[in-house]
Amino acid sequence: MAEQKQPTSAAPDAVLRALADPHRRQILRLVQHAELPAGQIAASFTLTQQAVSQHIGVLKQAGLLTERREGTRRLYALRHESLEPVRELLSEFWPDALSRLKQAIETDHPRPPKR
Amino acid sequence: MSAQIRKDVIVATEHIKAPPEVVFPYFTDPALIVKWIGDRAELDPRPGGVFSLDMGEVVARGVYITVEPPYRVVFSWGIPGNDALPPGGSTVEVVLTPDGDDTMVVLTHRDLPSAHIGNHRAGWEHRLGRLRAAAG
Repeated sequence: MAEQKQPTSAAPDAVLRALADPHRRQILRLVQHAELPAGQIAASFTLTQQAVSQHIGVLKQAGLLTERREGTRRLYALRHESLEPVRELLSEFWPDALSRLKQAIETDHPRPPKR
Repeated sequence: MSAQIRKDVIVATEHIKAPPEVVFPYFTDPALIVKWIGDRAELDPRPGGVFSLDMGEVVARGVYITVEPPYRVVFSWGIPGNDALPPGGSTVEVVLTPDGDDTMVVLTHRDLPSAHIGNHRAGWEHRLGRLRAAAG
């Protein structure tokens, strides 16, 4: 039976936790438009290679990165569709906010009953 | 009614039983805005003026771009330290249209990070349906 290595849709919590760290956001920016080997990602940080590998691990776990092997190299890229849960949160944000707005205004300014 | 649906845009609508003159200050007065969004606000509602909202652990920062009481207000929106949504990185446009004695609020959040809004179309159409029902 094949094991699923990469989650097809990450939970918003995992994605948000992964995005909470500035180093991890920096990694995502690096691989947003281009697939990069781990070494090249690590080279743009002052962190140890091990620390960078750990961040990559968290991003992979959250489904934010794809990993592809080419010979001995591992190449990483942003998995764009993984940002969908975050967008979904945002897309719920405004309708929820506006329904609170409606409630606030209609409470503050009640209409007199129609005669 | 027709709608253009772009991938980097979120549109939210609401029908409010009050005229635009009443609704508008809820987007520009700190004491009124916190009744529906955020815990604390610093607002200077003129072009270039600060738009700052504390929402628990998250802080939204931007500036007012257009202020046309009581029908239209545009402000930028972002989260400091968040590369995906930096301050000023996206814009929120609010249009208030009179509907009898009431107001139709259409809020459009543009320039959001990355694409992939995918199945939000269904949610949007659901809201439109609700809106029609409310206005009906």
